[in-house]
Amino acid sequence: MLGYYMRLALKSFSRNPGITALMVLAIALGIAVCVMTLTVYHAMSGNPIWWKNDRLYAVTMDNWDPKQPYSKLSPTLPPPEMTYKDARALYRSDIPERKVVTYATDGVISGVGAVPSAHVRSRVTTADFFAMFEVPFLYGNAWNRNADDPAQPVIVLSRQENDKLFGGANSVGRTLRWNDHEFRVVGVIADWFPRPRFYDLNGGNFDPAEDAFLPYGWGAALELLNNEETDCWAPEKIDTFKDFMASDCIWQQMWVELPDRSSRERMQAYMDGYWAEQRKGGRFQRPRDNRLTNVANWLRDNRVVDTDNRVLVGLAFAFLAVCLINTVGLLLAKFLNGASITGVRRALGASRRQVFMQHLIEVGALSVLGAVLGLALATLGLAAVHHLYAAAHLNRPGGYQELTHFDSVGVLWAVILALVATLAAGLYPAWRVGRLPPAIYLKSQ
Amino acid sequence: MSLNVRPILSALLRNRTGAVLVAMQVAIALAVLVNALYIVVQRVEKMRRPTGIDVDNIMVISSTGFTTRFQSVPTIQQDLTWLRSLPGVVAATPTSSIPLADGGNNEPLVTRPDAHRGENYNQIEIDEQGLAALGLHLVAGRNFRHDEIQPPLTTSDAARFVPQIIVGRALGERLFPGQDPVGKRVFDSLNQTATIVGVVDPVIGNFPSHEHPDWVYFAPRYPYSFTGSSIYLVRTQPGQRSALMRLVEEHLSKSNPDREIDFVRPLNYFRDLSYLGDRAMSIYLTTVLTLIVGVTCLGIFALATFNISTRTKQIGTRRAVGARRRDIVRYFLVENGLITSAGVVTGCALALAAGYWLSVEYALPRLNLYYLVSGVLLLWAIGQLAAWQPARRAAAVPPSVATRTV
Repeated sequence: MLGYYMRLALKSFSRNPGITALMVLAIALGIAVCVMTLTVYHAMSGNPIWWKNDRLYAVTMDNWDPKQPYSKLSPTLPPPEMTYKDARALYRSDIPERKVVTYATDGVISGVGAVPSAHVRSRVTTADFFAMFEVPFLYGNAWNRNADDPAQPVIVLSRQENDKLFGGANSVGRTLRWNDHEFRVVGVIADWFPRPRFYDLNGGNFDPAEDAFLPYGWGAALELLNNEETDCWAPEKIDTFKDFMASDCIWQQMWVELPDRSSRERMQAYMDGYWAEQRKGGRFQRPRDNRLTNVANWLRDNRVVDTDNRVLVGLAFAFLAVCLINTVGLLLAKFLNGASITGVRRALGASRRQVFMQHLIEVGALSVLGAVLGLALATLGLAAVHHLYAAAHLNRPGGYQELTHFDSVGVLWAVILALVATLAAGLYPAWRVGRLPPAIYLKSQ
Repeated sequence: MSLNVRPILSALLRNRTGAVLVAMQVAIALAVLVNALYIVVQRVEKMRRPTGIDVDNIMVISSTGFTTRFQSVPTIQQDLTWLRSLPGVVAATPTSSIPLADGGNNEPLVTRPDAHRGENYNQIEIDEQGLAALGLHLVAGRNFRHDEIQPPLTTSDAARFVPQIIVGRALGERLFPGQDPVGKRVFDSLNQTATIVGVVDPVIGNFPSHEHPDWVYFAPRYPYSFTGSSIYLVRTQPGQRSALMRLVEEHLSKSNPDREIDFVRPLNYFRDLSYLGDRAMSIYLTTVLTLIVGVTCLGIFALATFNISTRTKQIGTRRAVGARRRDIVRYFLVENGLITSAGVVTGCALALAAGYWLSVEYALPRLNLYYLVSGVLLLWAIGQLAAWQPARRAAAVPPSVATRTV
């Protein structure tokens, strides 16, 4: 029966090729625009470490100006980073299973054979970073906590940096100079693309992870500044790096891994205790706001999905709605126009249900055609957007272009939308045509 | 002239599904059209606003000293002397951050000592050639003198302020409303004071995406270099930038073994990157709103064509009993007008609702009603245009059709 209905559908298409093409095009455009925006939205809104969503927590404390909140845009949120002294104090707690304090900085790597010295995006961090964020290793391993402070001269490289410096060979044990200090390679990270770069959202959200990782203690030893976001509010005289470390400036990112509810409560109590003690000394004059934020909420609070993209998703669905309403109108007109043929089929014994199914299958075939064409258009569109962004970034990784790869999510959405299109555009016309009394259309023949 | 709306309306109401669908399309199309256009116009205005900076003739050089031997100030002086000696170079300056690149320093300034720390303003460090290297115009006061340029901040005196500053006109107006800012004193959060010696206009600083990108001031100081990195801006004669960029990169990479050159790039690259999101959004929105109007237009056209083909006999009958061609055309245009009007009325409500949502989302002023009126007129015109050809075809139906059976 299905084959027969398909043949009828094809016949019906060829009766009004112009209208059929218009309907397919409308569905295709609607699906293409939706698939494009949803692909980008999906890539942007993903939680790259969802399986640890109930274990990983960003640590923040509201140490800001008593007279104004940190952000005018989100006045209810504490600052997204910590001061050096608060991060150090909380790091002393043994409650978390793992704990990380980290920030991004700049460096130059030299002293590797004939490889020219070059800038390298770097990160100083405590040792747990790699285990906590499940960073995969190609060669070697992370350093252990003992190397953090006093800092030992060990370094972990990204695969790209290792390719550049050592031609991709196992470089564990080799030495190099980072900012003219000798370091020994202890590990090389395998491909790792946390998107967004959730562990530190102060730089480009979709930039790749850094290329060199150093023990945290080097930050103080070499007086390394944060190269992303440093914010200060208090009128303090900050002349030296020691002044800076003692200041109320925020520039450190802190994370803890808390396996269960009780450890979470104990950590919260520990923070609140530290807060109360500091408050007695005159700090923390804002209302108490010490937070442990899981990754999903962290991404939301930091507005990783920007407003433009939410607007575009709304727009895409409005456009799809116009395309589908358009199709409903055309289908209705077309089906009613073919009512005399339907009348004959009904008179010869086709039930209402069969007429309904026949027409719904016709709409389904239209939607499938539309979805296929729409997927092709979406692929082209995404390629165009990718080109626009990649060209502007001189083809270096890290921009918005990372989000424009057509993938299985796009196909899935196209299938869902085709189904939606069939039901939304086809149900009413098919039902209407099934209800037509056959006799009227037979009379005038 | 009577448009005979009553019979057209009652005929429409008897067979309303098609009309309702067209009206719905028009309504959504209007809401999208008006709001998308509003966003596009704002983005285009943002990208087009004058920066005061001679973007097309400026190159940006970034380098990093990385050995313990590296000395920042002598290196900067040596580099600048060489850069300024090149034929084709108009001016060169060291600076703290790349202009128009959405990254840099914001520092508080107030107009009286011990005032509560107010807003942060974009601080840009330059030397006496800074204004010339950026292509900025002084509208009041004077430029920095060579002997006023301060040594860079170091890790032993990082809180030091500068004795003079030059402000952008918008910041001058912000700090001293209605007064001439030249000669006035400002204070940093530690009550260190500086005198405003000049005013430039127009200017956009390091943060084109901030709410007030023109709240900018210039400090006469070599940029700090705790990390060993330096940025130079070099302005060339028109047409000479690319050739000079190659020369500069080649020379600077070799001139000092204690530093490496990160890049030598045209300033356009950074400006375009900052505006990339706006550009992409504009292109995308324009495409979708063209498509939405196109699809609506085709829908009206196709539906009108269909309706007319099902009403051939009725049209023939009307013609046979005396209706002129004009009357038939008018019938269909009025019908279309009624449907479109219903659509735009609903659409206005939708557009305002969407506009309200967007204004909350973007923290923007509410939708300008001017756009709504234009959108209504546009969709009305498009509706009539789309119905015009089918209506003419309908008018061509000969009266004799009425006497035939099918």
